[in-house]
Order: sequence, then C-alpha cells, then structure tokens
Amino acid sequence: MTRQEILNELKKVISPYTTNKEMLAQINEDTDLLKDLKINSANLVDIIIDAEAKYDIEIDYDEADKMMNVGSCIDVISEKIGQKQQ
Amino acid sequence: MLSTGNDIVSLNTINVTRTKQPNFYSKILTPTETALHQEPYFATIPFEVFVWLLWSIKESAFKFLQRIDPEIIFTPVKFEVTQLEIPASFKIQAFNIEKLTGISFDNIETIKSNISFGNYILYSNSLIYQEFISTVVNGAEDFSCTYWGVKQIESSKVVIQSTEVRAFLINNLTDNQFTIGKNIRGIPVLLKDNMELSIPVSLSHHEYYIAYSFQLPV
Repeated sequence: MTRQEILNELKKVISPYTTNKEMLAQINEDTDLLKDLKINSANLVDIIIDAEAKYDIEIDYDEADKMMNVGSCIDVISEKIGQKQQ
Repeated sequence: MLSTGNDIVSLNTINVTRTKQPNFYSKILTPTETALHQEPYFATIPFEVFVWLLWSIKESAFKFLQRIDPEIIFTPVKFEVTQLEIPASFKIQAFNIEKLTGISFDNIETIKSNISFGNYILYSNSLIYQEFISTVVNGAEDFSCTYWGVKQIESSKVVIQSTEVRAFLINNLTDNQFTIGKNIRGIPVLLKDNMELSIPVSLSHHEYYIAYSFQLPV
C-alpha cells in the first residue's frame, strides 16, 4: 500500500473518534491527533486497536507511543504491513 | 520543580466489552498491574473501571512530568502503578451534585497510588463515581497545597468543554483577574496581565465532565 492509500484508510479509522470532520477531510501527515483533530486521549488505544484489526497487524507499546500524528501512524502501519509481507 | 497533572474519564462513554479484551487493556496495564485487580480489596471495582482508573492515573502522571520534561512521550505501560490503596468497604456511588472542589484530599474517600516512571516516583488521589474517574497527581505524598475541582457540564462539544473548564478554575481562585493560556509546548499556564505565573495548572475534560488541578508551594 502507498502512504496515500494508508492515509485514506486511516481517515476511516479515526473518523468515529473526532467531531472535527472539517479538519479530518483535510488531514495530512503533519496533522496531530490530539491537538488538531481534538481526539480525546482516552480514544488513542481505540484507534490503535482499530488500526490493528484493519491491517491485520500488531502494534506494540513502543510503537504505539509514536502514533501522535498522522505521518507517524502511517510510518508504523507501513512498517508493520511490510514485516507481514516478508 | 512544582507541577501538577490531572485527568478525567467519563465512565458513561467507555466501551466495556472492548476494555475487557486483553489486546486492549494490555496496552494500558502491565501484567503486574493486571494481577492487582485480583486482590480482594478491589472486589467492589469492576475490571473495566479498574483499567480506566489506571489509565487516569497514568495520564495524570504523564501530564505532571510533561511540564518538567517536554520530551516525554505517553506510553501507559511505562508508567507503573506500584502501589494502590483503596479504602476499606469502598463503594462506587452516584455523583449527585453539579460540582465538587477541594484543597487536599484529607476529607474525602479516594484511591491512592504510587507511580513509577524512570527515576521518578509520583503520588495520586483518584475519585471514582458511577459517572467518572478523576485523578490528580503530585510529586509528593502531601497534597495539602493541591487544589482541585470536578464539574458536570451540559455540552460535550470540545470548545464548550475547554471554555467551561477554564472558567471553573478561574472562578475558584481568590483573585479572578487570572486567565489561562498555553505555553509554546501546549501546556496550560496561569497568566496575570499576560505574564506567566509559576503556579502549575492542569485541565481535563471528557464528554460531560471537566476537572482541574493546580499546585501551590508547600
């Protein structure tokens, strides 16, 4: 999957957890999940679990803590998808 | 360095089924912490509430330390709750009032914990009601100069939550000439005449509940 494809899918994963749909429509790799999308921190684990299910990957603790903006989420997901395909 | 950290979790909005799934709670609790729930003292606390209690403690600890070290990243399992004290015959009650404020936690039933993160040892007090969990973390066991408040509000919109929690804190200060801003790292600060004061404040909101804490020197 390309980064753009992951980003498009990630939008769907994030959507239930943000009320800022306008910002969601415009997200890019620099978008911060908490500050820009106003996602409550209590939903961060939900997003990780949903991403795991969506891409059939497992994201461990050390990787999860990098997932604060969209670009870093794509980095982690992309790396995990790559590992799965090896 | 003086700091404070708080968090609030609205229990009406948590996903109980998901919270009980190991792939969910294992991202928040260490195996040692998970085992703590088997202790007889915690029989009155459902597991999903226990998970969110520890989340609330860890998030508060993170907010406390973020003021000291802005580079810290929040990884819940790296904040270890090493001790958890619950009052004997603790029972979760309904929050039948609009708001609750206090200085220290001496006259109220709370769950106390010690939290370890790297070389830091922190201390917390948590209130648990049927509707929410609210935690305040301090760098010492003495909370006598810790001011806190919890309030129910009528809207869950982020902009309203944000406005309400600031007003709630300001209204509980003796001098309401203060305002609340954010420093360049996004951490809330108390301002007077646009000058940052050395009084650390922490704000939190979740759904229909808001909470604050601030810490004065002992």
